[in-house]
Amino acid sequence: MTSMNARERVLKMFAGEEVDRPPCFSGFGNVTTEGLRSLNQNFATTHLDAKMMAAAAASTYKLFGFECGVAPFDLCIEAEAMGCEINVYAHSEDLLYPTIKKKLIHNEAELDIVIPTGLTGRGRVPMMVDVIKQLKKDIGNDAAIGSFVLGPFTLAGQIMELNDLLKLSFKKPDKIGKLLDQMSDVIIQVAQEYEKAGVDYISVREMGATSDVLSPRVFKSLILPYLKKIFEKISVPSVLHICGKTNDIVPAMAESGARAVSVDQKNDVAETRKKLGPKALIFGNYDPYNVLVAGTPDLVRQTIKKCMDDGVSAVWPGCDIWPTVPPDNMKAMMDEVKKYRR
Amino acid sequence: MVTEEKKKELLAKLRNAVIQYDEDTSKEASQEALDVGMEANDAIFNGLVSGMVEVGKMFEAQEYFVPELLMCADALYAGLDILKPHVKQLDLGVKGSVVIGTVEGDVHDIGKNIVKMMFDVAGFTVYDLGRDVPLDKFVAEQLRTDSDLVCLSAMMTTTMTGMKKVIDDLRAKNPNVKIMIGGAPVSQDVADKYGADGYAKDATNALKDAINMIESLKKMKDEVEAKKKG
Ligand code: B12
Repeated sequence: MTSMNARERVLKMFAGEEVDRPPCFSGFGNVTTEGLRSLNQNFATTHLDAKMMAAAAASTYKLFGFECGVAPFDLCIEAEAMGCEINVYAHSEDLLYPTIKKKLIHNEAELDIVIPTGLTGRGRVPMMVDVIKQLKKDIGNDAAIGSFVLGPFTLAGQIMELNDLLKLSFKKPDKIGKLLDQMSDVIIQVAQEYEKAGVDYISVREMGATSDVLSPRVFKSLILPYLKKIFEKISVPSVLHICGKTNDIVPAMAESGARAVSVDQKNDVAETRKKLGPKALIFGNYDPYNVLVAGTPDLVRQTIKKCMDDGVSAVWPGCDIWPTVPPDNMKAMMDEVKKYRR
Repeated sequence: MVTEEKKKELLAKLRNAVIQYDEDTSKEASQEALDVGMEANDAIFNGLVSGMVEVGKMFEAQEYFVPELLMCADALYAGLDILKPHVKQLDLGVKGSVVIGTVEGDVHDIGKNIVKMMFDVAGFTVYDLGRDVPLDKFVAEQLRTDSDLVCLSAMMTTTMTGMKKVIDDLRAKNPNVKIMIGGAPVSQDVADKYGADGYAKDATNALKDAINMIESLKKMKDEVEAKKKG
């Protein structure tokens, strides 16, 4: 097979064409402290500056050959565009991820919300467009450029108390359905803006709907319809990610219309491969903390090999790559993937 | 006096109200229990709490998920609100107070809320600081309330390190307080390394450990008192 660069490999894999080996990339944040150090940047300020974010997002490809550049690194973009304030913990030297400071909905009576117009001009959405363009220019010929949006349920959990959302999903499914429909519209607008900016693929992160929290039944009846609506409107290759327990919902995830299904270490990928068939794109499923950060290079190699033996279409983490990953482990992972032959 | 039969019927009603997350029935049955002269303690522990124990089992068996658990808790609280003022003395052997919260930078609070509920049920006084709690607030709240126990929850490996700071600070200011930590990335190993007194992998074990810890704390205090006198 002719040699291909990282971007070509990822795009061919998405297109269902044959590739020399599974790509090793991600749909989520993968900035490393090593990368931040090489740029002399601090994590907290990186979330607020397009140039810094683009540089950080490109650094893992540049340092380790990880086959993508992905931004942003936090889960607050959509909620912020709707009017939530965020906290980036500017005072802290620890690696803290931005969070929502104030919710929009505080009780059932406030469920009826109006989505602001001109959403894509609000919050950090314009900055994200800038980041994607800079990333494309920097490494976009060689590495795949991706971004992510939240799933409707997870986004609803950002703008109201998750506890209330969970309970109301039972007590007032109609009202929650309407809210999820509004969330879907927000997500579609943001995703389409990223597409226009030039991303190669988009992941939808619906981690709030994991079977650790929510029953497969509610996932299928309440959430799946809106995921379908979203994936219908995304034209670049798309990925549906749910972390935690997913063994019972992978068929429903595949039904969502996402091009690929992404799962974490709690999923039995060999089983999932059997359920979804040889053609389905399944991404996963190494533990980004306990293996990639806390493990030895040997454990990394074993785990990555097992992912590929189990039949993943791409070697891909169960969540964000945790910044403190040791460089030797990154190198071990890349090396193990490159030498793999099916 | 209330007949055995009536008592049984009401206990079953309370238990089922919790299991079926029926707040109205829980309130009704609690009021009825008081009206017919049942002991509030009996109604709480053999009715409401026994229902919650069953719910815990259903959660482990994946028949119930987090939303069901939260709704069952609401039904339990609805009854508890009515019965609590009539409780003579909670007969758990210990009475304790606890400060609980999820540490700074971490908004994962589902697990913390479940642990908190177990303490409420057991009759502890609970000071819930919520999530994303600035580290020095734990220390200030412990000093303010003189609680026996401080419970820290963290769901991320990065925020987990904040727990060490809280533990060191608490130890410096108040060597007697007991500290328990938990959350997905936490293990017995981590608890030992950070110098916490306890770790539990889930809410039920958290409660058991807490009761043991407070018992030993009380014993220690009694011994000191006895020495002073003797
Ligand atoms: C729901 C969820 C969210 C929700 C949280 C909403 C909320 N209000 O809680 C949202 C979408 C907001 C979210 C955001 C993020 N998340 Co998140 N999230 C999860 C998820 C899917 C479920 C957690 C959960 O609630 N489990 C169910 C409860 C019942 O279990 P539990 O919390 O473990 O609690 C039990 C025990 O641990 C114990 N316990 C808990 N606390 C205590 C305390 C004491 C004292 C004791 C004794 C016991 C105890 O008892 C509980 C009951 O049995 C997990 C993955 C997973 N499946 O676990 C990821 C996960 C925790 N998230 C993760 C990440 C990375 C993030 C983000 C950083 C993503 C990002 N790029 O921004 C952000 C962080 C935001 C922030 N700064 O906090 C990672 C953490 C990785 C790591 N090892 O550090 C996880 C593990 C996902 C993964 N597979 O990697 N997330």
